[in-house]
Amino acid sequence: MPMKETRTVSDQMKRQSKAVSRSDFFPRLVAMQRFAHARNFAVLKTNNSGLPSRRKLTCILDNFPTDGEIAASSILEAYGTFLLEHLEVSSLPLLWNGRDDAQTAETPDFAAFVIRLKNRVLPVCGIALPVRLGSMGNGYTVFAANYLDITSEIIIDLHARSHQMMMDLLVLDERRSAPDEVLSNREIACLQLAGDGLVSEEIAGQLGLSVHTVNAYLASATVKLDSVNRIQAIAKAIRLGYIA
Amino acid sequence: MSNRSVLSGGRVTSAKLDREFNDKPPVQTVGSGRRHITTEQLVERLKSSAEAGDVSGGLRTLSDYVGADGYLLARHELNSENGLDNVISSDWPFDLVRKRGTELITRLSRTTELEKCLSVLQPAFSMLPEDSALPAGASREYCTIIFSTGRNRYVLMFICPTDVILSQQRLRETGVLASYFASLLFHDTIKIGRDMDLTDRELECLYWIAEGKTSDEIATIIGISKNTINNYITSVMRKTATRTRSEAIAYAVRHNLV
Repeated sequence: MPMKETRTVSDQMKRQSKAVSRSDFFPRLVAMQRFAHARNFAVLKTNNSGLPSRRKLTCILDNFPTDGEIAASSILEAYGTFLLEHLEVSSLPLLWNGRDDAQTAETPDFAAFVIRLKNRVLPVCGIALPVRLGSMGNGYTVFAANYLDITSEIIIDLHARSHQMMMDLLVLDERRSAPDEVLSNREIACLQLAGDGLVSEEIAGQLGLSVHTVNAYLASATVKLDSVNRIQAIAKAIRLGYIA
Repeated sequence: MSNRSVLSGGRVTSAKLDREFNDKPPVQTVGSGRRHITTEQLVERLKSSAEAGDVSGGLRTLSDYVGADGYLLARHELNSENGLDNVISSDWPFDLVRKRGTELITRLSRTTELEKCLSVLQPAFSMLPEDSALPAGASREYCTIIFSTGRNRYVLMFICPTDVILSQQRLRETGVLASYFASLLFHDTIKIGRDMDLTDRELECLYWIAEGKTSDEIATIIGISKNTINNYITSVMRKTATRTRSEAIAYAVRHNLV
């Protein structure tokens, strides 16, 4: 989405509240990291594209040191493509061993339910837990360490918590992208019918309004949804749950 | 989110939402004792069921672990007309599956995508109608957990026993384990390709239109002529049986194509 030239006061406030809330996730992630006896964490998220060629993972939160041997981006470079493919077909946790012989990630009681990534690629071992909520809110929580010995109970618990966190992040994002003003019932009705394939004349006939009024409602809905035309407004209205 | 009561017919959040997972309840409060199994046994049994391809065995293990009186697993598909086709496995009485299962699954499909996304691994409790034929010892209360395995979304339902409250924590764990189980067992049924045979170019055009771009702008972005773009859109509308651009985009968004 293109960045706006002029930022209003409310935009800045939203930006700020976003930053504050995102940082609220840090303590939760650190707690999870400790629980796994890991050294660092990273949260990876997919962009919202339905196009396979445009889909990619980005790191949205991590605590890898900036001057360290490894950054969150190293994980994406090493395993990014596989992580994306895996997310499409499976929810099994992924484990990998590090370059050093001692850098192993093990789960003796749960080996049947994990998939192993290519070993000896990174200077750390780790675990990646896939989270797939649906058409949005998909990604991974990753924990990296020098050595991991992780039981089934811990994996399952971390995985459940990862889902909860991705959901809370999604709520945060949606709240941010939700329109400033609430759509009126008339605007919603017009959007719904337009999305059902009716042209303005037909919508007017069905709602007992003039064509101009229908177009005015669609135009105001477009502005409220921060869209450039009615087609984008319809797409957003569906994603935000205003229309079915 | 104003509308969190996604799965409800009746009451939804009967148990407290221990959202931060800090207060893990003691294990012995669950399971009513008679079929109680430990996590170790659970993992072992689930593993052998997965290896044997035994869907009902695995689900029975999960049902025992959670302390429920019966399970139903179904695919949770978009716009499913006939819910019964989606039922994968259940040990409920057939009449109950036929009469109620389909109804419950159809009700689930009447929620928005965002609501569905926010209901993953959130146990929700509801009540079956009074005239339902239930297994012996079961209450009318049932619990629904939604989970995803790759692109597929599933819904797992448990009938609650009369005298026991199922633990939220344990239900969530069961949802996670069920998704692992489904990953191993339904590996080949996962749709990697798309339902419709839309080409990459057509999808690319749809994507940009949904972002509010005009044909002219898309022509510049992709580097092909505007008329070609319009041809792609026409062909999309033909393939998806939609009448206008707006409807085609609405279709694409509803089906997660863009």
